[in-house]
Amino acid sequence: MNTITLQQTLPQAFAGRDSIVSDVWHRHIELQRGQSILIEASSGSGKSSLCSYIYGYRDDYQGIIGFDGKNIRSLGMNEWTEIRKKSISMLFQELRLFAELTAWENVQIKNSLTGFKSKNEIKEWFERLDIADKMQSPVGRMSFGQQQRVALIRALCQPFDFIFLDEPTSHLDDTNADIMASLLQEEATRQEAGVIVTSIGKHLNMDYQQIWKL
Amino acid sequence: MKLIWKLLRHHISVAQLAGFFLANLCGMVIVLLGIQFYNDVLPIFTQSDSFLKKDYIVVSKKVSTLGSFLGRSNQFSNVDIEEVKEQPFTESVGPFTSSHFQVSAGLGIEGIQMSTAMFFESVPDEFVDIETDKWRFTPGDGTIPIIIPRNYLNLYNFGFAQSRSLPQISEGLMGTISLDIRIAGKGKRDNYKGRIVGFSNRLNTILVPDAFMKWANTQYAEGKQKGPSRLIIEVNNPTDERIARFFEDKGYETENDKLDNGKAAWFLRIIVGIVLSVGLVISILSLYILMLSIFLLLQKNTYKLENLLLIGYSTRKVAFPYQAMTVLLNGLVLVLSTAIVLLVRHVYSNLMDEMGLPIDTGAPWLAIGAGIVLFLIVSAINTTLIYRKMKSLF
Repeated sequence: MNTITLQQTLPQAFAGRDSIVSDVWHRHIELQRGQSILIEASSGSGKSSLCSYIYGYRDDYQGIIGFDGKNIRSLGMNEWTEIRKKSISMLFQELRLFAELTAWENVQIKNSLTGFKSKNEIKEWFERLDIADKMQSPVGRMSFGQQQRVALIRALCQPFDFIFLDEPTSHLDDTNADIMASLLQEEATRQEAGVIVTSIGKHLNMDYQQIWKL
Repeated sequence: MKLIWKLLRHHISVAQLAGFFLANLCGMVIVLLGIQFYNDVLPIFTQSDSFLKKDYIVVSKKVSTLGSFLGRSNQFSNVDIEEVKEQPFTESVGPFTSSHFQVSAGLGIEGIQMSTAMFFESVPDEFVDIETDKWRFTPGDGTIPIIIPRNYLNLYNFGFAQSRSLPQISEGLMGTISLDIRIAGKGKRDNYKGRIVGFSNRLNTILVPDAFMKWANTQYAEGKQKGPSRLIIEVNNPTDERIARFFEDKGYETENDKLDNGKAAWFLRIIVGIVLSVGLVISILSLYILMLSIFLLLQKNTYKLENLLLIGYSTRKVAFPYQAMTVLLNGLVLVLSTAIVLLVRHVYSNLMDEMGLPIDTGAPWLAIGAGIVLFLIVSAINTTLIYRKMKSLF
């Protein structure tokens, strides 16, 4: 997958509003593979909605979203499964980790599906993100900041053309945010993938080609 | 898969699954036992003489007092026979040919000579299921093969032999004894040997090969031969109610208990049918419990299931643990119910042995086969419903 296009896309919830001032909604924009884009937004401006539309688990929008020119409304369940496994990775704002599994198991449940990373690579990431000692702890007993790092590792355990990170650093200190950014940058460069980061304040420190206001 | 199971087994209600397990076991045992019992017991009602075709009926016209006075014939005309032949339940019809000459048979046991006047009858050979070289007569043979009612032997063994302190004769021994047959007619008198080749439970006549009868009637019979007064009818299903109705309409009498057995078999069928229905209803209800339980489980685990789908698991993969669980439960039910059926069958076959009604206790393939078919059907329904439900959740 090389391009994601948004044509006149708008959440249905916004349809009644008189004027929309946004770089994304109600415009024609293209997300290119290999680019890094920051989407700045204030709370309630629809960034999580944007992620959920592109990831296919909500479709309450107007306009057209296309993957390489194909309208995503026409995709079936199986196609979405393949896309989520091989083309688009997502770090959800609400993380969507499994609280009763350990940090390690949460990553394994994804990696055993894709078989993308070796155990050593994953262990190394745990160490770099300073949560190696938490690998065998149930995620439910970890702080949200620690959980965000686990979720990042999980998101990286798959091949992708685009990776979306919905407020990835909301609960991270600067040092850990920088480690996260460099990890992400390495992996994205290696896979020549597009990176889309949303933020309501603190940005993930990366070289962005474009910064859009939602 | 291990991790998925670890995630999804949460909220599984052991009580609900145990409820399903017991209910399904109950239903399955009833269904399988019904089938097996029916299969085991039916032969008792439909058992036949080994040497006669299975489903046959002997009919005659009613002998009434008025008819006897008026000299009305109780023979079957060709029209009557054709009519029977055309009935939907009829496979084939054969007339009884009776002897129109004098017959007497004698037997010598331990020096005592017994002799009695008797008669012969024959039916077409196709109704007699006996090795052809045993059941054959060609003119010039001195020996006639004979089938006699088993009652005759009993009459001798338990009546005559005991009152006269004579030895009892087994069926095997009887087969080796030859009778002295004297036939007279048309001014001729000849001696033959009679050899008993079989005993009949249900045919009250002394049967000889058709070939002998035809030949002997031309040799010894005087005057015009009469039509048959009894018919043997092979039917495709003795429990067919049209048979009884037809005979009633025509005023024919059936001579043996075949129809009574048919009625008993029919009642057995109805009773087993009712039992099977009850078993099936229990099975269906248990299936319903299982589905409700699993749908509830899916609802409770919706968030986890959704997350699994969002990180790239297919519906099929996510549905698999639940499908595997139900199939495993069904398999357990199958094994256990088969074991129970075997046990119960052991008990009732012993009971029936004691009652003098031995049943064939080979492997209960019918029950096992039916169990496997039920297992496959129930499992297929389970897996499909779970998959559909899973798809409809998201």
